[in-house]
Amino acid sequence: MLEITDLSKRYGSVVALDGATFSVRPGRLVGFLGPNGAGKTTTMRCVFGLVRPDHGTITWQGRPIDRTHRLRFGYMPEQRGLYPRMKVADQLSYFAQQHGLPATTARAATARWLDGLGLADRAGAKLEALSHGNQQRVQLGAALVHDPVLLVLDEPFSGLDPLGIATMSGILRERAAAGVAVVFSSHQLDLVEDLCEDVVIVNRGRIAAAGAIDDLRAASARRHLEVEVVGNGNAWLDGRPDLTIVEQRGDFARLIAPADLDLAGVLSAASAAGPVRRFAFQPPTLSELFMDLVQA
Amino acid sequence: MSRRRAIWLVARRELLERGRSRAFLLSLILSVGIIVAGVFLPTLIGSGPGSQHLGVVGSPPSGLVPGLAASAKAVGLVLRVESVSDLPTGEARLRDDSLEALLVVPPDGSTPTYIVKTRGNGLLQQVVAASFTTPPQIAFRELEAADPDRDTSFLFANVGVILLFISIFSFGTWVLTGVVEEKQSRVVEVVLSTIEPRDLLIGKVLGIGVLGLAQLVVMVTVGLSAGVAGGRFSLPPTTGSTVAMLFVWFILGYAFYSTALGVLGALASRMEEASNASSPVSFIAMGGYFFALIVALNDPAGTAARIASFIPPVAPMVVPLRAALGAIEPWEIIGSAAFMVAAIWALFVVGGRVYSGAVLQTGARLRLRDAWRASGRG
Repeated sequence: MLEITDLSKRYGSVVALDGATFSVRPGRLVGFLGPNGAGKTTTMRCVFGLVRPDHGTITWQGRPIDRTHRLRFGYMPEQRGLYPRMKVADQLSYFAQQHGLPATTARAATARWLDGLGLADRAGAKLEALSHGNQQRVQLGAALVHDPVLLVLDEPFSGLDPLGIATMSGILRERAAAGVAVVFSSHQLDLVEDLCEDVVIVNRGRIAAAGAIDDLRAASARRHLEVEVVGNGNAWLDGRPDLTIVEQRGDFARLIAPADLDLAGVLSAASAAGPVRRFAFQPPTLSELFMDLVQA
Repeated sequence: MSRRRAIWLVARRELLERGRSRAFLLSLILSVGIIVAGVFLPTLIGSGPGSQHLGVVGSPPSGLVPGLAASAKAVGLVLRVESVSDLPTGEARLRDDSLEALLVVPPDGSTPTYIVKTRGNGLLQQVVAASFTTPPQIAFRELEAADPDRDTSFLFANVGVILLFISIFSFGTWVLTGVVEEKQSRVVEVVLSTIEPRDLLIGKVLGIGVLGLAQLVVMVTVGLSAGVAGGRFSLPPTTGSTVAMLFVWFILGYAFYSTALGVLGALASRMEEASNASSPVSFIAMGGYFFALIVALNDPAGTAARIASFIPPVAPMVVPLRAALGAIEPWEIIGSAAFMVAAIWALFVVGGRVYSGAVLQTGARLRLRDAWRASGRG
């Protein structure tokens, strides 16, 4: 398990991290969310020793992370980059060896991953000769080729087309299923909601929320209510101060309600006003949760 | 995995990727061209037309001077004959090279003497000798005993400095561009997720250094073979030690300059900034080069050359030059090398920290002080 405890980092007067604490368990796919400048990249760089935190600890299986641990981690930085003039297979094999694999094992792993990423026919091509999408795949390959136990990816979905997103999602799911602890940052909240069980939301260097998405949604104090009462024009809503109207259109209304709303009472009031065509009471989506947390 | 293996992997990557590159092949071809030109060009220039000054002491037989002029012209020699008051004046002028040869014609009609400083211009000597057709024609004398190895040593010293400068600086620049390329392509962040910044710099310096050494071996081998095969020189007994000094000082000079350039490269984010960032080091290297060729070559045992031998950025060009000319004491070589090693070590300690602090920073060009403070791993 990756455990990050009370991590702080300042750059001059800018606070990048302010006591961030969270963990990533093996076999879990964790979405690491936050607005730009919230501290996501700094946290990831701290894991790889690229940034030295002012305060706090990072441990793997209970031990402070050192170089030996990092050899078993995989990293895909936000700013992509590999050696442009190096051949694809040589490149992956080089990174595999830098992660401690012997030369022959590294070559075999390279062949396997190039095959898996659909790049087997480009093994001998220089990286710069590849399309943007294929270069992204090689980049992912460089993070995966040594079979890491922890995978840290900074914005892995940015710049990918729908096909690329599907491939990336599939690989991340498959890695997590294989027991790898996977954490990735993203701004595509709907995608994260589909893909991850857990999220960590960071805002201004502090952890605003962390845990299973379903738990976080359920724990929210508010609910979303969508109601459509045929022919009423939402007149039945008058005199309900506990329901805030977010959107209304003809007979349809989207409302914000407290989690402990008397649902049966509201439903009977709606039914009394006319035929109910839609009635949905839901916890907020991840996007809504996110907006609440970072705008607070 | 050990740090040593990480360094070895970096060095091997540099060696393989750059060794197979067109840039290295071109550099090899170019350097072989330069060395062949360096060996043969002085001969070609030396035998070209240029006016020869012949001093005459005493009264030559009438008709000798016009006769000399005519035969000189016939072989394409521009000859200036001037009268010199006495033998000591003439010898002094031979020594300061304002005369190429001196003809002494005794007033009593005995054998005239043709004097040169050292092994003279064969053509001029033939022209003069041909003018004395009646026995006892003419006597020859040299002020200083001819030493064929002296010219060769001078040539080796001269060409050696040029080789060192080219090798140190061109391969040092490869380290500079290599560092900037890694920053510019952003690959450095992936690399540094497993390797210490210092180890990356060491590996890069080592790998490129092996290529530099390989090129130097080729240049020296080609240069010596061409010189011997082309009859330009025969190898003096000091050849072995001169060549050994060349390699030792390439290694020391390259380690110093490539580290400095690699560190400065880390301060730049783009290639255009790199030459700016490295200009102080370029200036120092150029200064050392010209000092060696102008000052140290003229007076290899002089005070300036002796002091320069203990200034690390200049020593790699000056010490092998002085050694090739036999104008350095063994203790000076050892002391100078010790200074050099200490300087490389200090540069690596300070530069390694600056490199670590700078290599992950992108955006505007960094200042040395900021990079020192930003050093992530200390």
